[in-house]
Amino acid sequence: MKFRGTAAVFGDYVSGDTILPARYAFLDPEAMAGHVLEELDGTANERVRRSEILVAGTAFGYGTGRESSARALRAAGVKVVIGGPFARMFYRNAINNGLLVLDCPALVGDGVEDGREIEIDTVSGEVRCAGRAYKVPPVPDAIGRIVAAGDLVEYGRRWLRDRSRENADA
Amino acid sequence: MPETGLTFAQKVLARASGVTRPDPGRIVEAIPDFSYSHDFAVYAIDAFERMGATRVVRPDRVAVCLDHIVPADNRRDANNHARIRAFASTQGLRDFFEGGTGIAHQVMFERGLVTPGSLVIASDSHTPSGGALGALALGVGETELGFAWATGHLWIKVPDTVRILLEGAFAPGVHAKDMMLHLVARLGVLGAVYEVLEYAGPAAGSLSPSERFTLCNMSAELGAKTGVFPFDPTTAGFLRGRALFDYEPVHSDPDARYSRELTVDLSALQPMVALPGREDRGVPVGEAAGRTVHQVFIGSCTNARADDLAIAARILRGRRVHDGVRLIVVPASRAVMTEAARAGDLETLLEAGATFMPSGCAVCAGVHQGVLGDGELCLSTSNRNAPGRMGNKRAEIALCSPATAAASAIAGVITDARELAVA
Ligand code: SF4
Repeated sequence: MKFRGTAAVFGDYVSGDTILPARYAFLDPEAMAGHVLEELDGTANERVRRSEILVAGTAFGYGTGRESSARALRAAGVKVVIGGPFARMFYRNAINNGLLVLDCPALVGDGVEDGREIEIDTVSGEVRCAGRAYKVPPVPDAIGRIVAAGDLVEYGRRWLRDRSRENADA
Repeated sequence: MPETGLTFAQKVLARASGVTRPDPGRIVEAIPDFSYSHDFAVYAIDAFERMGATRVVRPDRVAVCLDHIVPADNRRDANNHARIRAFASTQGLRDFFEGGTGIAHQVMFERGLVTPGSLVIASDSHTPSGGALGALALGVGETELGFAWATGHLWIKVPDTVRILLEGAFAPGVHAKDMMLHLVARLGVLGAVYEVLEYAGPAAGSLSPSERFTLCNMSAELGAKTGVFPFDPTTAGFLRGRALFDYEPVHSDPDARYSRELTVDLSALQPMVALPGREDRGVPVGEAAGRTVHQVFIGSCTNARADDLAIAARILRGRRVHDGVRLIVVPASRAVMTEAARAGDLETLLEAGATFMPSGCAVCAGVHQGVLGDGELCLSTSNRNAPGRMGNKRAEIALCSPATAAASAIAGVITDARELAVA
């Protein structure tokens, strides 16, 4: 998969509760998108909604396991979250919502500025930004399949369909 | 490289996935033995239905317990609850626990639904609490819980394991929570990310199931995949007459490979307070002493069991909550509240000026009730203190043990309970 766009950059230790507070967890996706990251500062919500690529610092999404933070980022139009290292449940939830999460702490370490153009190629594992090149580890098959299907719901739908077909053939 | 033995986590995942030797880092498809959820089950149900699934795989191994928003706060939440009730009944789920029964993690623990050696998944980050009883208990998202209900399996990355060797004994006035606030401060909120924390060492056996629960619960605050206390006579005793499933304890092999080994000398610890903003900002209580507190919350899955309430009651007996403080007490479950009532602790706390709320997540979840005002500080026995966690990012949260919480409620400022003479 290839992605290209401007990066919305966020710092270290942005907790899942900050991405989307629990009180908004049951809103519909559009309304969630209106609140995502607004707790952080005045421009954060607008910035995240402008970019498909979110550059995240250490522990982005740590804390709560509520999936709403990933759901809200998806609703805001985010497709890739790159940086990290990431908290485990945020990672799972993002993947299951069809967001690709790529470990690339060096990108954050180099101080990428908000609004910079960034290019990502998950097949070659190459990331380019501000004249520098970075490497990201290959996406494991089990995860690539979910993201390729769109999200875990679509992946599950196909899994069930294939399974019932197998059973019908047997 | 010669083959070493396997860790507890590897063994549980080997059985649940059919992969004989699952090495750390590998992704396996595993079949959970038990799963549960809470109010956020609506999202699991949503995913389940959108996948086109009609029957939950092994409904006799699924439970739901409403705890986050109980009683319902508004029409939307009430309708969500109704949808969960209907799903539980149509699907014939093993158990549905109505709001007020308690916090899901506590209810699964005290009702014998979490058993040693089992693979447990639940849609909540504090699922690791189940490690207190020797289960491999993993938090997952709501969508993947729906996926597991629909397909019976789930992808799981085989984790590395860190061995935490516990030595010595707590000094008087120092508790399991202090040990965790110390460990989180020492390693950071990603200090054990993706790893399992296995608590061992000479002192491990001396900790009660409730204390083990606190340690496993807050393993999540180190970013760990889960925490676990190996099965021992304490576990067996707790589960006797309680466990609802047959179980087979699982232990790490003596030559299992750990990613690291850390030692914690319990006798060297002091009461700790995690300063507002992040869970790893723990300092000895003396360094935080004197800060004005506006609300004290003794609740949450971390520290609101009968032993916690007893500690608080012992400190509050014959004393009054400070005029400037709201003390909110929320027992982790109705069973806990009943036990505290029998012991007289409820009465003591009420007489001291505590306000009780129904058993559930209450203030901890920040969705309703007990929300803080701008500039206020809440001293809490819960596990998280990120900005906004309790519903207002202009307020602050500090974390501590029930003892520190009770002492501070009396003084109106953060206080070392050891400085209050307790008869
Ligand atoms: S008490 Fe708090 S930490 Fe525990 S499950 Fe409820 S919201 Fe989560």
